[in-house]
Amino acid sequence: MAKRVVVVGGGIGGTTVANRIRRALESEVAGGQVQIQLVDREGIHAYQPGYLMVVFEKMRPEETRRDESQLLHRSIQLVKGEVEKIDSTANQIVLKGGKLVPYDVLVIASGSVIHPELIPGFPEGAHSFYDLSNAIKLRSALHAFQGGRIVVSVAGMPYKCPVAPLEVTFMLDDYLRSRGLREKSEIHYTYPIPKVFGIDTVAQPMQRLMGERGVSVHVPFNVDKIDPAAKTISAVEGEALPYDLLIAIPPHRGADFVGASGLGDKGNWIPTDKFSLRAEGKENVFVLGDATNIPISKAGSTADYEAEVVTQNVAALARGESPTARYEGRVYCWIMTGLAQATYIKFDYLHPPHPPTPSFAHYWNKVIYNRTYWDLTARALF
Amino acid sequence: MVVDARGSWCPGPLMELVRVIQEEPVGTEFELWSSDEGSRNDVPLWLEKAGHELLGMTREEGYDRYTIRKKHG
Ligand SMILES: Cc1cc2nc3c(=O)[nH]c(=O)nc-3n(C[C@H](O)[C@H](O)[C@H](O)COP(=O)(O)OP(=O)(O)OC[C@H]3O[C@@H](n4cnc5c(N)ncnc54)[C@H](O)[C@@H]3O)c2cc1C
Repeated sequence: MAKRVVVVGGGIGGTTVANRIRRALESEVAGGQVQIQLVDREGIHAYQPGYLMVVFEKMRPEETRRDESQLLHRSIQLVKGEVEKIDSTANQIVLKGGKLVPYDVLVIASGSVIHPELIPGFPEGAHSFYDLSNAIKLRSALHAFQGGRIVVSVAGMPYKCPVAPLEVTFMLDDYLRSRGLREKSEIHYTYPIPKVFGIDTVAQPMQRLMGERGVSVHVPFNVDKIDPAAKTISAVEGEALPYDLLIAIPPHRGADFVGASGLGDKGNWIPTDKFSLRAEGKENVFVLGDATNIPISKAGSTADYEAEVVTQNVAALARGESPTARYEGRVYCWIMTGLAQATYIKFDYLHPPHPPTPSFAHYWNKVIYNRTYWDLTARALF
Repeated sequence: MVVDARGSWCPGPLMELVRVIQEEPVGTEFELWSSDEGSRNDVPLWLEKAGHELLGMTREEGYDRYTIRKKHG
């Protein structure tokens, strides 16, 4: 009987890893010894980094979505359905409605889920850009904005794309300038720790840039609640900031089925070996992307680099060899520092990032990446 | 409870601590492992502002270990 490799999640990590596993096991798949399936809730692939571009009218909403079936190699079977539970003892997935999907090797790439409701007042009082419909609403709100006080706030940990709050702040500054509204506006930035980003090599140049752009910084600021009627956001530290427009990053958790399957920690993140990317204690289960508990960026770039390692390890297991590939913590993310300039951070477990001076060239590389994403990363045609 | 944040540059060890401290009950003792030298400054500063307790810090080969107690909810 064919070995069954099943991938859960048709986002950035799941799609690229499925296509790469197919290529790594090309002859086994063609010969029928290995069968690859990908399970996804809707069968629609969302390119979430595009949402920030939608807010500032640099991408159209439809450019962030494609049918998953167009991205997967024709020999990979797409199963549309919602995973309710994984029974890792019986090696099978239970879908909503009761259908079972058995596996020999499982890859979990179910991403993260935003939970605005965990902060009182968030759903009614805050704008966000962490899903497409809210990004479109924020785009309209900015379009109608005629000046006032804007607060950008990180309202919970962890959250994906750790640099996105920096980016939206700098892009907003540029956007308001381009509309002649900057003099009539204030931008305030809050972050939960005593600086604007987690480590000094990034925080220092970013804080300097905020100073140059006239952004007021409020740190540490751990969001307690939002009062939509009074239009204030308050922190457990006691500070309360009034706002005319609030852009907040909601708290994130792992997928519900992770908890229901007993595979996760308190936040439904899956304990994962940071080198082998195996789910802890499970020989035949690998995890990549936002779903892991590894303390590095929840980012598409992380999922992309991790996919290389998972591919090699899954291919080894499918061939009856032992998996030896190691993830060294590589990540590469651009940071937009305006509407047409960017810098980037590149790092691994041993080497911290040192962002270069922002430039148009770095921004242009990001634009090219956004355009080529579907072929180079999702379809993994390189 | 050990929070192994060695090699966590983004979002960084202190952000990992912020995450786990909110999930665990008052009184929990954490060991935060960090290879970021900036933590030597940030961790005590944040703990003081947030009202949690730094019980000690030891330097190991290539990283530091901070022992922390959660003091309030
Ligand atoms: C505004 C914004 C900007 C960003 N910018 C960047 C950037 O510039 N660079 C960068 O590297 N990253 C960026 N990111 C982060 C990046 O989008 C995510 O980290 C990345 O998508 C994670 O990939 P993933 O495969 O783990 O999860 P996802 O891409 O979220 O995919 C998860 C998939 O699993 C499916 N799924 C979940 N649960 C179930 C279930 N129960 N049953 C069936 N299917 C399920 C979902 O439908 C989804 O298709 C950004 C994110 C946002 C929101």
